[in-house]
Amino acid sequence: MKLTTFAQTLHDLGLIKDQGLSEVILGHQEFSRFGKLNNDEFLELSKRAREMGLKVIFEWDVLMTENTFGGLANKIKLFLDSFDSLRVQDPGALEWSFKNTSKPLQFIAENGNHNIVALKGWIDHVQGRMERIVLSIELPRLTIEEYVKQLKVPCELLGLGRILLFYTPRLLLSPLMEDKFSYHETINAIGESEESPHKGFPIVENRHGTFMFHIKDFCLIEFAQDLSKMGLGFFRLDFRWTEMDLLKIVKGLCANSFEGELEAFKEKYPQDLMRGFYLVNKTDVLFPKLKNHRLQNREGNYIGEVMEAEKGSHLAILVKNPKGLSKTDKLRIVHPKGEIFEVNIFSLRNLSLEELDFIGPQKMALIQFVGGVWVKSQVFYQ
Amino acid sequence: MSQVLPEILAPAGSLDKLKVAVLYGANAVYVGGQKFGLRTAADNFTLDELREGVAFAHERGAQVYVVLNSFLHDKDLLELPEFVLFLEEIKVNAVIVSDLGVVKTVARLSNIPIHISTQASTLNVEAAKFWKSIGATRVVVGRELSVKEAGKIKREANIEVEMFIHGSMCMAYSGHCVISNFTQGRDSNRGGCAHSCRFEYSLDMGLDTEEKKKAFFMSSKDLEGLRILPEFINEGIDSLKIEGRMKSHLYTGTMSKIYTEALRYYHEHGNFLSDDLLYWESELKKVSHRTYTNASLIEKAGAESIFNERENSTEAEWQMVGTVIEASPNCGIVIEVRNAFNQGAELEILPFKGQVINIIANEITDIMMKPLTRTKPSTLIKLPYKAGVESMQLVRQKANS
Ligand code: SF4
Repeated sequence: MKLTTFAQTLHDLGLIKDQGLSEVILGHQEFSRFGKLNNDEFLELSKRAREMGLKVIFEWDVLMTENTFGGLANKIKLFLDSFDSLRVQDPGALEWSFKNTSKPLQFIAENGNHNIVALKGWIDHVQGRMERIVLSIELPRLTIEEYVKQLKVPCELLGLGRILLFYTPRLLLSPLMEDKFSYHETINAIGESEESPHKGFPIVENRHGTFMFHIKDFCLIEFAQDLSKMGLGFFRLDFRWTEMDLLKIVKGLCANSFEGELEAFKEKYPQDLMRGFYLVNKTDVLFPKLKNHRLQNREGNYIGEVMEAEKGSHLAILVKNPKGLSKTDKLRIVHPKGEIFEVNIFSLRNLSLEELDFIGPQKMALIQFVGGVWVKSQVFYQ
Repeated sequence: MSQVLPEILAPAGSLDKLKVAVLYGANAVYVGGQKFGLRTAADNFTLDELREGVAFAHERGAQVYVVLNSFLHDKDLLELPEFVLFLEEIKVNAVIVSDLGVVKTVARLSNIPIHISTQASTLNVEAAKFWKSIGATRVVVGRELSVKEAGKIKREANIEVEMFIHGSMCMAYSGHCVISNFTQGRDSNRGGCAHSCRFEYSLDMGLDTEEKKKAFFMSSKDLEGLRILPEFINEGIDSLKIEGRMKSHLYTGTMSKIYTEALRYYHEHGNFLSDDLLYWESELKKVSHRTYTNASLIEKAGAESIFNERENSTEAEWQMVGTVIEASPNCGIVIEVRNAFNQGAELEILPFKGQVINIIANEITDIMMKPLTRTKPSTLIKLPYKAGVESMQLVRQKANS
């Protein structure tokens, strides 16, 4: 497993070279969400990286509406000779790069893409040009292991860095700054809300929009050996918000992480750290609780819903089943809280209060009152 | 007018709402099954209801699209084939999908047309070409696009294009917000969004003052594109989508009716130079909404598109009173009451077409014909019959009256 990281300065490049990494990701300010390099700086850094024997990866991870896309697709042509691989996230950037360049492609599949069919789909689409796929940090360990085995191309995973929670193209901080900013300037803020249990979300506004991050950084350093054994290709370390000087320590910890050293590192690291869903992802377990299942259970023998329950007088049932409701039908009525009532019909009337043997679909049927049955109870044939 | 008109695509969070949308004129509805869609807490459709809903819509010339727009994990994907086969059997008109794995699965198992959900954030011609090459017939483009950009996508990618015209908006690029995943343990891309963008935040912006800025800085105003209808038509947009499967019957009915009527007017007159425009706009304001914006439909959404207010601070001018259950000279008008009203209340019944029907509720009885002076929610009441009133029509009154 190789380490990969970003460089923003010549100093960063020197550290990367010193630590024996073989590649570097460069972020141009117009193409990369958090890229700082202008044209000249990019060209200079890329030249120097190549002189150091580092492979240069050009990061094009902004999402682009059509008007922006055209400009960037034109502009990237200026840099094609200055990098070795192209890393994209917008499917449009992938498609364009596939058709208009001959560069090896890296696809950032970090949002969604939590199934093997999708991941294989991206890889197959570019017909052998996919050099690497960047997996979502929401995937648990067992799934990562499975994907690494099954996918034909090397996989990359974030090993250390900020967790991006939210990305919008709208500028959300500058309107609060009155006139203390200029367009394209980066604004930083820390946010907290009484409605959220978490405090201290880092928020950044720059030329690409507004980004919110988790209060803790993501860290899988203690699992680096494990990931390496399972065959993960690349482990990404993102020091863009901390210190590149940490690279040396982190590299050491990835190779050989002794508990005490790791704890000391965590202490020293400027943010709290978390491993996210690496051990387990249960982000769907709460869903059943969001629904009232008795209201959902309307399959099969479903007749309709109690619309009115008038004590001592009647139940009004809206008949929804195309078969309608006969006086001889035996009913099972399920209370919203789950209690079940088995009911024979003694009286069946329509809204004109005529006593009938049958009420058709989409009509209201009035039957005798049944104690304990409430409005919204669901009615079934027994 | 020879221009092809876009369809009005309405949300239907339940079978009742599907019927409301279709009866009030929507050309198509989008619905969710019990799984695979993003509205986990919504009522959603059982298989029987889906079958019935499709039949109901088709009998009235409307289309039904089923949302399968969650980003599915492998285990979820295993359960999908059976549902896809069912959807093909009942002849749904399309599925709305955001995950490439789901697209591939649907395409492998069926011939159901595939629409790419806005969750996939399709923002440019090349992205649309990608989805087309995978088998999609339509893209629901991201809400960050202008109508002009969407028109260009349609022409250059040669694919159907659907745009949102009305409703609440995610502030994030759709599919690119995982706040709920990491802070509440609920996957927003599988329907668990906790709407953290609507919270009020205290912001330390490193200003000289100690004071933190308090703001609902991540909350978006609601989209409203009525006056932009001519642009949509001129750019050849195929479908205009109304957000809101979780919203009320009144919302579904009003939106379906107003946008359909406005579109029909434009079709007949070739312009919008009509006092009706003010009437339609006033109708859109009668349902609960945040302040309206046209977001990025004309130019990039700016500071004025942020809804820097507490939720629910925009009260609806009108509230739903109930739904007409039956109406005939014999039994009168039977209303299922959702919000109570008093004897003498000035009610408006929203007909499927045309101007509202005004009723003063002077004679109210329960369904056993006992006179009432005030109604109660979750009861049925009767009013004297009035011509033009039909079952499934919606009844409203001015809020706080
Ligand atoms: S929290 Fe807001 S921005 Fe995020 S997914 Fe939910 S609605 Fe969208």
